[in-house]
Amino acid sequence: MSALKAFLNSPVGPKTTHFWGPVANWGFVIAGLVDMKKPPEMISGNMTGAMCVYSALFMRFAWMVQPRNYLLLACHASNESVQLYQFSRWARAQGYLEKKEPEAQQ
Amino acid sequence: MATSKLQALWNHPAGPKTSSLSLSLTHTHTHTEQVHFWAPTFKWGISIANIADFAKPPEKISYPQQIAVTATGLIWSRYSMVVTPKNWNLFSVNVAMACTGIYQLSRKIQQDYLSEEEEKTPVEG
Repeated sequence: MSALKAFLNSPVGPKTTHFWGPVANWGFVIAGLVDMKKPPEMISGNMTGAMCVYSALFMRFAWMVQPRNYLLLACHASNESVQLYQFSRWARAQGYLEKKEPEAQQ
Repeated sequence: MATSKLQALWNHPAGPKTSSLSLSLTHTHTHTEQVHFWAPTFKWGISIANIADFAKPPEKISYPQQIAVTATGLIWSRYSMVVTPKNWNLFSVNVAMACTGIYQLSRKIQQDYLSEEEEKTPVEG
C-alpha cells in the first residue's frame, strides 16, 4: 500500500504530466489495434506511413536518451509493429503488393 | 610497448568504452546529426499527413486514431511547458497535432451527427 502511495505521489507519477505524456503515446497503439478490424479502404496511407517513420525514430530516441527509457521504447516498438501491419493492409488493398500478371494490374 | 598501445586505444575518447552520450558531450556530432533532433522534428510528419488527409471524405477518418492524435497533442503541449527548460520546439509540434486532430474530429462528427437530415444534399465541411 505504501509502495502504491509512493508511486501515486512520485514526481513522475499519475499526478504529473511526465506520466501522462508517455501514456498518451500508447493511445496510438490502441487506436491501431482497434483499426485492425476495419476494412483497408478506411486506412490512411499518409498517416500510417508517417507513423512508421515516427515510431522508428522514437525507438532510437528512447534508446539514446539519458536515462534510457525502456517504457517509451516498448511503446514505439509496439506502435511500429501495428502501423507496419496496417500499412501492409493498405498497400495490398491499393494493389502495390500484387505479383506482376500478364494483364497489367494497377 | 604493445600494452601501452592497447591502453591508448582502450582509453581513446571515441573508443570502445565510449557511449554516445559522452560522444555528444565532446561535440563530435552536431545537434542536427542526432536522433534528439530528428525524432521530435519528424513529429511534424504526423501533422503534415493529417493536413493532407483534410481532402479525404470524412467517412475515411478514424475516430480512435484522431482521438489519439488530439490527446497526444494536448498532453505533450502541457508536458513541454512543464519540463526544464521549456521546450518550444516540442510545444509547437504538439499544438499543431492537436489542432489537426480537432479539425478532423469536427469534420467527422459534423457528418455523422449533425447532418443526418440532409443526407442527400452536399454539406460543406
